[in-house]
Amino acid sequence: MIPVLWRASLRFLWRHPWQTGLTVLGIALGVAVVVAIDLANDSARRGFSLAAEQTAGRATHQVIGGPRGLDESVYRALRMAPGDLPMAPVIDDYVAPAADPGRSLRLLGVDPFAEARVRDYVRVGGGGTPVTRLLAEPGAVLMAAETADSLGMAPGDRLEVLARGRTATLTLAGYLETTDPALRRLVRGLLLTDIASAQEILGEQGRISHVDLVLPAGAAGGAALERLRALLPAGAALLPAEQRSAALGRMTEAFHLNLSAMSLLALLVGTFLIYNTTTFSVVRRRPLLGGLRTLGVTRRQIFRLVLAEAAVTGLVGALLGLGLGVALAELLLRLVTRTINDIYFVLTVRELSITASGLAKGLLLGVSAALLAALPPALEAALAPPRAILNRVVLEARLHRGVRWSAAAGAGLALVGAAVALVPGHSLGLGYVALVALVLACALLTPKLTLLLVAAFRPLLAFLLGALGNMAARGITAHLSRTGVAAAALMVAVAATVGVGTMVASFRDTVVHWLDESLRADVYVAPARTAGGAAWPDLGRGFAERVAGLEGVAEVATYRRVVVESASGPTQLVAASLPASERERFRFRSGAPDAAWAAFRAGGAVLISEPYAFRHGLGVGDTLELRGSAGPVRLPVAGVFHDYRSDQGVVYLDAGLYRRLWNDEAVSSLGVHARPGADIGQLMARIRALPAGGLALAVRANRELFNASVEVFDRTFTITTVLRLLAVVVAFVGVLSALLALHLERAREMAVLRVNGLTPRQVWLLVTAQTGLMGLTAGLLAVPAGLLMARVLTHVINYRAFGWTLQWTTDPAILGQAVLLALAAGLLAGVYPAWLMARTPPALALRGE
Amino acid sequence: MRLVRRLTHLLLAAALAFAPALGAQEGGGFRLGELLGGDGAGFARALEPRPFRFPADHGPHPDYRSEWWYFTGNLRTAGGRHFGYQLTFFRFALRPDPPVRDTAWAANQVYMAHFTLTDTEGGRFHAFERMSRDSLGLAGARSQPFAVWLRDWRAEGRAAALFPLRISVAEEGIALDLTLEGGKPWVLQGDRGLSRKSAAAGNASYYYSGTRIASRGLVRLAGVDYPVSGSSWFDREWSTSALGAGQVGWDWFALQLDDGSDLMYYRLRRADGSTDPHSAGILVDGEGRTTRLAHDAVRLEAGREWTSPATGAVYPVGWKLSVPALELSLEIAPRLPDQELDLSVRYWEGAVGVDGERDGRALGGVGYVELTGYGG
Repeated sequence: MIPVLWRASLRFLWRHPWQTGLTVLGIALGVAVVVAIDLANDSARRGFSLAAEQTAGRATHQVIGGPRGLDESVYRALRMAPGDLPMAPVIDDYVAPAADPGRSLRLLGVDPFAEARVRDYVRVGGGGTPVTRLLAEPGAVLMAAETADSLGMAPGDRLEVLARGRTATLTLAGYLETTDPALRRLVRGLLLTDIASAQEILGEQGRISHVDLVLPAGAAGGAALERLRALLPAGAALLPAEQRSAALGRMTEAFHLNLSAMSLLALLVGTFLIYNTTTFSVVRRRPLLGGLRTLGVTRRQIFRLVLAEAAVTGLVGALLGLGLGVALAELLLRLVTRTINDIYFVLTVRELSITASGLAKGLLLGVSAALLAALPPALEAALAPPRAILNRVVLEARLHRGVRWSAAAGAGLALVGAAVALVPGHSLGLGYVALVALVLACALLTPKLTLLLVAAFRPLLAFLLGALGNMAARGITAHLSRTGVAAAALMVAVAATVGVGTMVASFRDTVVHWLDESLRADVYVAPARTAGGAAWPDLGRGFAERVAGLEGVAEVATYRRVVVESASGPTQLVAASLPASERERFRFRSGAPDAAWAAFRAGGAVLISEPYAFRHGLGVGDTLELRGSAGPVRLPVAGVFHDYRSDQGVVYLDAGLYRRLWNDEAVSSLGVHARPGADIGQLMARIRALPAGGLALAVRANRELFNASVEVFDRTFTITTVLRLLAVVVAFVGVLSALLALHLERAREMAVLRVNGLTPRQVWLLVTAQTGLMGLTAGLLAVPAGLLMARVLTHVINYRAFGWTLQWTTDPAILGQAVLLALAAGLLAGVYPAWLMARTPPALALRGE
Repeated sequence: MRLVRRLTHLLLAAALAFAPALGAQEGGGFRLGELLGGDGAGFARALEPRPFRFPADHGPHPDYRSEWWYFTGNLRTAGGRHFGYQLTFFRFALRPDPPVRDTAWAANQVYMAHFTLTDTEGGRFHAFERMSRDSLGLAGARSQPFAVWLRDWRAEGRAAALFPLRISVAEEGIALDLTLEGGKPWVLQGDRGLSRKSAAAGNASYYYSGTRIASRGLVRLAGVDYPVSGSSWFDREWSTSALGAGQVGWDWFALQLDDGSDLMYYRLRRADGSTDPHSAGILVDGEGRTTRLAHDAVRLEAGREWTSPATGAVYPVGWKLSVPALELSLEIAPRLPDQELDLSVRYWEGAVGVDGERDGRALGGVGYVELTGYGG
C-alpha cells in the first residue's frame, strides 16, 4: 500500500471524528454484548462443572437410587464385596443458615476413610483435631476460611441451619485449607461433614444420596461393573458419572443458546452500522477516489484501502468492546445465575472467568463483521470506472436500481425463512436460521418500503410544513444510499424490541393465565425448603389428615414431589391425590380429559406435561419407562397437559400408584380448599398452629403464591429486557451516525438554501422533519417485522427450546412504544446535525466545499 | 513396642485419609500429638497385672485406646515352596466417652489392616492396607464366636474356643485362606501379661501371644492355588499409652526354632544408637514353659544393609542374635531383602530363615522380623 493512500485515509477518518467515533462505538457495543453474554454463559457453565466436580472428584461411576437416594445397606453390600475398588458413600444436599434462609450452602456428608481415593481433599488445619472431631462430634463441619468469614464464624462457633425443613446446629470444627487455587474454588461454599452427622442434620437416617466409584478402564472395569451391578437391589442403578452430570448440564443449554443468539442480534445491528459508515465514506470521497484512479492507483489498491479502513475501525471498536464486554459481563453473570437458580438448580458463581477464547471470539467477530460489511462498498469503489466515481448521480441511480434488487432478494429470503421456520422438527439451530433469514429479509425490504412510506407521507408533510415538508421527504428519497441502510438498522433494532417484547408478553400472559387457572386451592402448605435441596421434606400423612379435619376445610389435595434419576437425566414426578375441584384445573393439550382422568385414577396411567412430552417424544398411548424401587416401571401416558412450572417437564401419577411403585409414603405439600364462606386468614392460623414435627412450614394463601410465581417469572426475563435495550442503544448509535453523515454531507446544499433565504429555524425544521420521518418510517416498518420475529420466537424458538405452547398476545403498548422509540431516536439524531447546520455561516460552508 | 508403632501408623493413616496428596505431615496437616489428644485421658490404662479370661479377652477392649490382632507365619507347599504372610488388624478408639447418636454411621472405633505375602521362590513381596470405621459392620471385632474383620478380610472362629480359626483375605488376585489349628498354651508377655514400655506408670500394655500355631490352607497367587502348611504366630496387645521419650525405633524378632522352642525379643533403639533398657524378650520351650530375657541377656549384631529402591530407607537385613547364658547363637537371614511395607507409614516386616546352634548342636528355624525407625 502506498503511504500516501494511507495518509489520505487517515486524514479522512480524522476529519470526521464524529463519524469515526460513532462507528467505533457501534462496533464496540455490538462486540461488548456478544463478549459479555459469552463470558457470562461460560462462567455459569464453569460454575456448574465446578459444582459437579465438588462431588465427583475422581469418580468414574455413581450408584444412584430412587427419589430418596439409596438405602445405606446398598453401600454396605458393595463395600463388603471382595476387592478394594475405591468407592465412597456421599450425602449431598443443601442447607440454609437460619438467619439467612435465602442463602444455600452445599452440605457434603462423606466417610473420611473412604474419601482419600475418590476425592482430593485439602489439608485440614485449625481448630485442633478435626478428623477425630468430625467423626466423634455430631454436627461438626469443616469449611473454607473464606466461607466461615462470610458467615461470621470462627472455629468452635455454632451455626443454626435450616435443613430439610428442620433446624439443626452445626459446629465449625476446622478449616478446609489449601494453597491450590483450583481446590480452593472447589471448597468454596461447601460444608464438609461426616456422613453420620449429615444423616442427623438432614433427619435422613438410613439413607445416602449416592455412592461414588472409581472403576479401572478397559476390560477390568467392565468386569467390575458387571460384578457390582449384580449386587445392586432393583431400585438402584450404576451409571457413568459424567452421564448424569451431562444430563443435568443439558438442562440449561437451550437457555444459554438463546442468550447467545440474542447477543448476536446486537452485533448484527452493529454490522449494519459499519456497512452504513463505509458506504458513506466511499460516497463522500468519490472525488478523491476518482482522482486517485485517474492518477493510476489500481482497483486492487482502492479495494484494499477501503477494507483496511474497515478493519482498523473494526479492530479498534472490537478492542474497546472487549473492555466494555467484560464490565457488562459482571452484570449479566448475576442475571444469568439468578435465572438458573430460579429455574434449574442451585448455582453459585462467584467470579467471572475471563477466557482468552471468549475474548478472541469477540475480537474475531467484530473484525469480520466490519470486513463483511465493508465488502460491498469496497467493491463499489474499486469496480466503478474512474469517471463514474466522480459522478455522484451515477451512484444514486445505481442505488435506486439496487433498491429493487434488494427488495427482490428480501422477498426471496423471506420465503426461504418462512419455509425453514415451517419445517417441523426440534432443531433450535434451524429455528434461528429461519429467524435470521426473516430479519435480513425485512432489512433488505426496508429501502423499498421506506420509499413507499415516504411517498405516502409526503402529502401530509407538505400540508404541515409546506415546501420544507416536501424537501424533507425528497431528501430521504434522494439520499437513499445513506438513509436506506440507517433506516434498515433502526428498523431491525426496533423490530427486535417488538419481537422479544411480544414474545415475553405472550409468555407472561400465558403463564399468568395458567397460574390463575391452576392455583385452585385457597391455601398451600409445604415445608420451608432450601433452594437446591435434594428432596422435598416429608410433611407426614398424619399432618395431611389433621389439616383435612380442621374447621373450614372442604378438601385437601396432597402432593409428593420427587426426582427420579435415570441415565437420560432427572424426571420430576408428582404423586398427587386430587379432589375433583383440583382436577378441573388441568388443561389438556392431547388426550380426552375424561378418559385420561379415568386411567389416572384407576392407578395405571400417568399424565405428562407438555415440555416432558416434547423432550422425550412421548404422546398419549405411549409408554413411559422410569426406575421404580423394584426395577423398571412402564407406565402408559393418558394425557398431555399444559404446565409452565418447569421446562424440563413433569410427570403426574396417582398417589397410591406411586406408593406402590416407589415405596414412599411421604407427602411434600398440600393444597387446601376452604368451605365456602370460611375465613382464609383464620384457616391459615389454624394450620400454622398444628404440630408439624419440628418442620418449619410455609403456609401461603392463593394470592401470595400467585404473586411469588409471577415475580420469579419477571425476574427470569430481566436479562432478556437488558439485551433488548442494548440492541436499541446500538441501533440508536447507528441512526445517529447515519444521519450525521448525511447532513454533514449536505452542508453545502443547506448553505445554498440558507443563501437563498432559509432561516436557521427553517433549517432546524427541515433537518428534524427529515430525521423524524426516517425514524417514524423505521418504526412503522418495525411493527410488522417485529411481530413476525415474535411469531418465530414464540412458536418456533421457544417451543423448540423449552417445549411450551404459548398463547399469542399482541400488546398495543409494545407496538406504540416501538414506533415512538424509533421516532424519538430519529428526532434526537437530528438535533446535532441541525444545530451544526443552523450555526454554520453559509459562506463558510460554501467555501469549505 | 508394637504399641508405639501401631499408634503411629493408625494416627498418620487417619490423617492421610483426608490429605492423600501427602505432605500432610509437614505443617498445616495433622500433628500426631494433636490427634492423640494429649495423654489419653479418660481411657482405661494398663497399670498392673490382671487376670486374663479366655475366650473373652480375644475380643476387643474398647475402653483402651488401641489394640491389635497380629498374625504372621511361615508356610510351605508339599514340594517345599516357601511363603510368608502377615495379617494384622488394628483398632483405635476416638473418644473415651462417645456421644449417643441416632445413626448407623456413628463410629467411635477405627480399624486398619495390613496384609502381606512373601513369595520367596517368585522373589516378590506383596503388601496391602485397608482402613475403615466400625459403622454398618464394615469393620469390627467380637469374642464369641471370635471374629475380627475389615470388610472381607476376616479372622474368625467357629465356636466358643478360638481354634480352629480361619483367616481369609484376598486382594488383587493374591489370597490367603488358612485354618489355624492351635498349638502351645498362651504366653503372657512381660509381668503376667503386663508389658512395661518405659519407667512411667501406665506406660504399658496387656500383651499375650500364641507363639506356635499349626496352620494349613491355601495361598492363591497369579491364578494358582497352592496348598500349604506351616506355623503361625499370634500377638494380642491393647493399651492406652503414648510414645516413650527418646525412642527412635525397634527391631523385633519372633523365631520358631526346630527344637520346638520359640524366641521373642525386641530391641528398642534410642536416638544415640544405644539399646533402651526396656528392651526385653522371652524364650518358650516345647511344652510352653517360659524364660524371660532381660535386655542385657541378649546380644544382637546387625549384618549387611539393604537400601530400599522404593523409599531410599536403609535397613539392616541380616542379624546375629545370641543368648550367651543359654549357649544359643543364631544367624537370621531374610527370605527376601525387599519386605518393606510402603503404606501409610513405612516399615520392614518380613519372613526370615534361622541357622545356628545351641549347646553346640546345629539348630535351624523360621520366623518374622520387624524393623522400624529406619527413615525413608
